[in-house]
Amino acid sequence: MPYAAPAAIARRVLPLIGVISALLLIWEGAKLLFAISDQRLPHLGAIVETMFSRTRGGAGPLLVVQMLANGWATFRVALGGFIIGGLLGFGLAVLFMRLPILEHGLMPYVIGSQTVPILAIAPMVVVGLGRMGAPAWAAKMVVAAYLTFFPVTIGMLRGLRSASPQSLDLMRSYAASPAQTFWKLRLPNALPYLFTSLKIAASASVIGAIVAELPSGASEGIGVMILNAAQFYNSRPPALYLAILVAGLVGVLFYGLVALAEHLVLRWRA
Amino acid sequence: MMHTAPIIEFDRVSKVYPSGGGPVTALHDVTLSIAAGEFIALIGPSGCGKSTLMRLIGDLEQPSAGTVRVKAKTPEQARRDRDYGIVFQAPVLYEWRTVRKNVELPLEIMGRPAEQRRERAMSLLRMVGLGDFAQAYPHQLSGGMQQRAAIARALSFSPSILLMDEPFGALDEITRERMQVELLSIWAESEPRPTVIFVTHSIPEAVFLADRVVVMSPRPGRVQRIVTIDLPRPRVFETREAPRFFSLVTEVREALRAVDNGR
Repeated sequence: MPYAAPAAIARRVLPLIGVISALLLIWEGAKLLFAISDQRLPHLGAIVETMFSRTRGGAGPLLVVQMLANGWATFRVALGGFIIGGLLGFGLAVLFMRLPILEHGLMPYVIGSQTVPILAIAPMVVVGLGRMGAPAWAAKMVVAAYLTFFPVTIGMLRGLRSASPQSLDLMRSYAASPAQTFWKLRLPNALPYLFTSLKIAASASVIGAIVAELPSGASEGIGVMILNAAQFYNSRPPALYLAILVAGLVGVLFYGLVALAEHLVLRWRA
Repeated sequence: MMHTAPIIEFDRVSKVYPSGGGPVTALHDVTLSIAAGEFIALIGPSGCGKSTLMRLIGDLEQPSAGTVRVKAKTPEQARRDRDYGIVFQAPVLYEWRTVRKNVELPLEIMGRPAEQRRERAMSLLRMVGLGDFAQAYPHQLSGGMQQRAAIARALSFSPSILLMDEPFGALDEITRERMQVELLSIWAESEPRPTVIFVTHSIPEAVFLADRVVVMSPRPGRVQRIVTIDLPRPRVFETREAPRFFSLVTEVREALRAVDNGR
């Protein structure tokens, strides 16, 4: 289609506007109805107002600009972790598929790694790698990768194993090599599964990046913004909500990019 | 056709599957000889081992006892020599490939040059009436069209043996009868003409297509009777209305009923 019909645009945009309006109404309605103080739940107007206040006592950039700059820093760390974790997850899945004995041996540890709270591990990784001389961004990426690789391993392994027996029989009848069977059947067949887990991994890597920014010493990122805003919550509550908003924005943006990649790669599904 | 040397030989072949409730004999003591270029239909009730027999030929499974020889080789060697084209009940097209790319797949694996692949795929697609759908994806095709693409794929590398496991089983009766006529004309046009092993549940389908119908009995699966179909070729729509067609259908039906009575 050369252009989207107005009706089609309306169908996509109207629900979005509806949901946002409803959220705004519930927010302000709840404040009014339950008499929630500005301290506990600021007015939406106050959050917008805070967005456009100057930082550093009036000398710095707008708060929203500062927030977005930190959001961008977090996004970069999340992306790096996403790529590292994605490759690791992919590699583990291929390894487990080819050598089931490795899966039996390692899978309990892989699962175990995900039950340990990330909040407990992140400082260890960041401080530990820092002592070994690794740059701060690398340590943060490792934490993001830690949350990313798991869904990719599980989804990809499932995908690699989902080739139907008959499609494998066909490959056998062509006397295809294991490599040919992998590249021409198992891998393309696993792509829809891979993208489903990449979408989960995208938001997980943002969470990992933010958590990695929490340990003291970090200088930039949404994690730092959240800590700062939380520290000064009593004097300026809207700042924390703004930080959370930016964190959500980064997550949605990341998810959107993966969904776009999925749309482009899995064109044949349309 | 019966005078040519056998291309497939079963010598006292049995197949036993292990199962929770003890071993199950899918095929018992089958001896069978199939001539090159023959069209063989395997018919019988569910569980008679007709699919197993087909899979033993194609080296998708191995016999528990006895020997299978294909072109005087083991089935495994024949598979490595790419002697088999297979069509299942489901089309099993790779959904991420266009129709043409699906037909090219075996040639791709066999390392044929791109231009040769393309030409071969297009000529086959035209032969099965899908010339205009080369760039379509499988999900954009009807069930009958998908199955035609699967047949084109199986023929792409000119295998000497075509193994078909209820290929029209999922199609409606009208499409099915049309596909039977088409299959016979594709088969007649193919050079060299492949030997076909066609597994089916349908008596008229078996009679319409085959040179010989192998009637099988269940549990354990064995060859009950072989009915020679002497209907002249080319077989056309009117063949199904010929008195000889009805008498052969009756003959196969009686053989199948004997299977039931014998149990």
